[in-house]
Amino acid sequence: MVSDGLLGAAVRKQNGDRFLTGRIEYTGDLRMAGMAHMAVVRSTHAHARIVAIDTERARALPGVIALLTGEEALGLAEPIPHNLDPAGLGGQHAEIRCLAVDRVVYAGEPVAAVVAETAGEALAAARAVTVAYEPLPAVLNAQDALAPDAALLYPGWATNEMIAGETADGDFEQAALDADHVIDGELRIQRTSAAPMEPRTYLAAWDERAQRLSWFGTTQNPHPMRWVLAVALRLSESQVHVVAPPLGGAFGLKMHGHPEELLVAILSRMTGRPVRWAESRAECLLAAGREQRHRYRAAFDADGRIRGIEDELVADHGAAAAGPGWGMAFVASLAVGTGYDVQCCRVTYRVVVTNRAPWSGVRGFGKESANLLMETIVERVAETTGLDPVEVRRRNLVTADRFPYRTATGLDLDSGDYHSLLDKVLSKVGYTDARERQAVQRAAGRHVGIGIAFELTPEGADIPGALVGGYDTTTVKIAPTGHVTVLTGVTSPGNGNETAIAQLVAGRLGVPLELLDVVQGDSSLCPYGYGNLSSRSMITGGGSALLAADELGQKLRTVAARMLEATGPDAVVLRDGFAILVADEGHAIPIGAVAHAAHTLAFILALGIDPAMEATCTYRPPNIRHLPDEHGRISPFASFSNAVHAAIVEVDPETGVTVLRRHVVGHDCGTVVNPAFVDGQVYGSVCAGIGLALTEELLHDADGVLRTDGFKSYLLPRATDLPQIELLHQCTPSPFTALGMKGAGESGLGGAQAAIFNAINDALRHRGARIDALPASPARVFAALAQADQAVAA
Amino acid sequence: MTPGTATCQLQLEINGGRRTADVDPRMLLVEALRESFDVIGPKIGCGTGDCGACTIALNGEVVKACLTLAVAAQDAAIVTIEGLASDGQLSSLQEAFWDHNGFQCGYCLSGMLFAAQDLLDHDLHPDDGAIRDAISGNLCRCTGYEPIVNAISAAAQAARSRIDKSRGSNEGAA
Ligand code: FES
Ligand code: FES
Repeated sequence: MVSDGLLGAAVRKQNGDRFLTGRIEYTGDLRMAGMAHMAVVRSTHAHARIVAIDTERARALPGVIALLTGEEALGLAEPIPHNLDPAGLGGQHAEIRCLAVDRVVYAGEPVAAVVAETAGEALAAARAVTVAYEPLPAVLNAQDALAPDAALLYPGWATNEMIAGETADGDFEQAALDADHVIDGELRIQRTSAAPMEPRTYLAAWDERAQRLSWFGTTQNPHPMRWVLAVALRLSESQVHVVAPPLGGAFGLKMHGHPEELLVAILSRMTGRPVRWAESRAECLLAAGREQRHRYRAAFDADGRIRGIEDELVADHGAAAAGPGWGMAFVASLAVGTGYDVQCCRVTYRVVVTNRAPWSGVRGFGKESANLLMETIVERVAETTGLDPVEVRRRNLVTADRFPYRTATGLDLDSGDYHSLLDKVLSKVGYTDARERQAVQRAAGRHVGIGIAFELTPEGADIPGALVGGYDTTTVKIAPTGHVTVLTGVTSPGNGNETAIAQLVAGRLGVPLELLDVVQGDSSLCPYGYGNLSSRSMITGGGSALLAADELGQKLRTVAARMLEATGPDAVVLRDGFAILVADEGHAIPIGAVAHAAHTLAFILALGIDPAMEATCTYRPPNIRHLPDEHGRISPFASFSNAVHAAIVEVDPETGVTVLRRHVVGHDCGTVVNPAFVDGQVYGSVCAGIGLALTEELLHDADGVLRTDGFKSYLLPRATDLPQIELLHQCTPSPFTALGMKGAGESGLGGAQAAIFNAINDALRHRGARIDALPASPARVFAALAQADQAVAA
Repeated sequence: MTPGTATCQLQLEINGGRRTADVDPRMLLVEALRESFDVIGPKIGCGTGDCGACTIALNGEVVKACLTLAVAAQDAAIVTIEGLASDGQLSSLQEAFWDHNGFQCGYCLSGMLFAAQDLLDHDLHPDDGAIRDAISGNLCRCTGYEPIVNAISAAAQAARSRIDKSRGSNEGAA
């Protein structure tokens, strides 16, 4: 018999006291004897030939230990292996080196690296390196990059297109002919950055005698990281030990493929010293994502029923990279259509390289953009038909009786009750009253807008060819003291999944949480796993932990049954620290005593069973389908969380400033293990979505140099920018995953962004104005109003 | 420190203990605390005064330690996040942050805890707006602030009921 005693409990975060007293060691807090510091010399040009690098002055500065140029690095390391090589899906391959060799393709690209005794000395020396460049023509946006005579970033490529693809079902042209209405439009999404509070930080120590590399760093995926280092440094994976200390947030940025991951290792090998690199905020904000333009058409009837959607997505990637960033465009293309019953869909995507810093993974991973697009379309359908936007959603969302439901892009939606979630949110926000109030406010000259968004978040991804799998592995073991250790292949960026996994195991083994430790992020201790991405940690880490806990529990109950002279394992239950006889609860043995007996009397008590007091299991979500269906479509996601958002904004027509007055979100991620952690994910994700809607944007000067290189110009939401976020839940378990869990973590972002975007357009509508681009900065909103006024005057 | 770089000797009182270390005069106070004194609680999130991850109390005043040169703090008394709990006992504010999931990765905690404590030292009845104002100098990328606001509000509530109780027992005694 098994129990789930702690399932659904808001248990506090493990080691919370150590966080609260500043005693948790992040990578930047680690110290090693003889540790030296790296600084990176970066290109000041968007596109240029490197003519010469003068390092003499730098080498002579105090504290300088070593200096490395791209030319010199060539012999020391292989190119960085790709996280997700576009060539694997029919795109172009680019060879990515840790330092540029003879040409730079973006401002900010690493050109040389310096190691010195202190970080300050390394920085001073990096400044003293002089690079002579011969500027080349640069392409700074996707449109220019696709022009027939555009300068090429990669000589081996015929164009600047990295990869392109199409997913289609049904005949859109026919749908357009049959439909009452066809609209077209453009949606432009700005370039933004993950911006975790902890920038990337790495520390590498090469042990010359043992010929082994120890590498500590901000990585979401320690085992794949080990593969990267081994391949690039021509080592065996057993020579590399990767440790991921607690992360100060990640949000996709800390997936593998960054040049500095490798640089610290090369330089440690070169100098014989442990080498640390701590990224500055300006460097961290180079990491880009999301910039894309959609050209869409939608065919629908007068009753609001959408017959078909066509979308052309062009992603402005920046330079090619070894990271998985470009995959976000692919994922966005799969997610178009979201949770709507649109049977005809034609989506193409093109990823274009430009002379700017590359895309890195970023929270939402493309799904947020698909949601924004779909919600924009739905809103415009309402506008055209004169129906209430809520009604258009009601008429088009997949109904609860249709699951599992295959979308036009091939995704196998697991479960949900989108309509009831919509109703819950509408009743919470008081939709009818809000509309009435809005009319009164409008009559008084106020620009109040109400925006609704449905959000589908495909989670737990496994993109074919990427070295981050959709399954994962956990070991659970019990020591003779009764202490339980859980070693898992998933990692935590700070979200609390270690505690939630502990809850699951503690529940199944009947041991108190205090006797249980979860170990994550160590490539030598933990089973091979794929770390943290795509909100997968509870589905795969939790799922595999449950399997392993049950297998170990079965052994413990077998041993306990023999000690209690019971018939067999089923006669015993593990609860409250004891193995208890079901038939006579007065008969019980402490679980620690059972473990001790199993370890010491294995030839009596563990006969006929595997005596190891541990179990290792892998959980593979059954809902991922890589074998293409008859239309060539795959479904690379384990689960589909969903949410409905309602935002109320007020725009000041004099200034263009938008204030978010209310934000209500209803969230459904199936079975919840720890409600406090899930709430935390949703709040954080909604907040990030608010930033995307209103303020965040990476901007460059005319030469392609990043201007928004700090938090005074790249504007993250602050507490005063947000109203209280009103959160409610619905639970529609997944029929496929363990316990019915779905991913939580990314859900919130795209929906919040879309609801606010819609609300702003709702506020502008009576003035004949609309915006088709984000962020809704005061300047953009103001310009839209001014333009509308001009049109009226003309 | 390498020969060739002039260093200064810096004396500080950190979390109640007198400490001395050699620092590079170019160092920011937060860098000196972390690198020269091995006090790692304050973090560097921006280095430009925008995020609050480096927050400490300097001679009783809550400041961002990336906005001061280390040498300018000679002889100062400093409290860092490491010094907020007394005798291993979390403050009620820290407990409230733990209870309300007021942090995820924890990187922003120095700023959030000092700003919140500073607020509660002056105002035990802060409303939502006052709490948000108090932490508006700090960035958090994980929590969306909502759980932090809830934690601070709960800590204020707890402090109020402690005062009521002690008043009650004083009256009882009188
Ligand atoms: S590091 Fe000091 S405010 Fe950000
Ligand atoms: S908890 Fe991660 S930045 Fe605040």
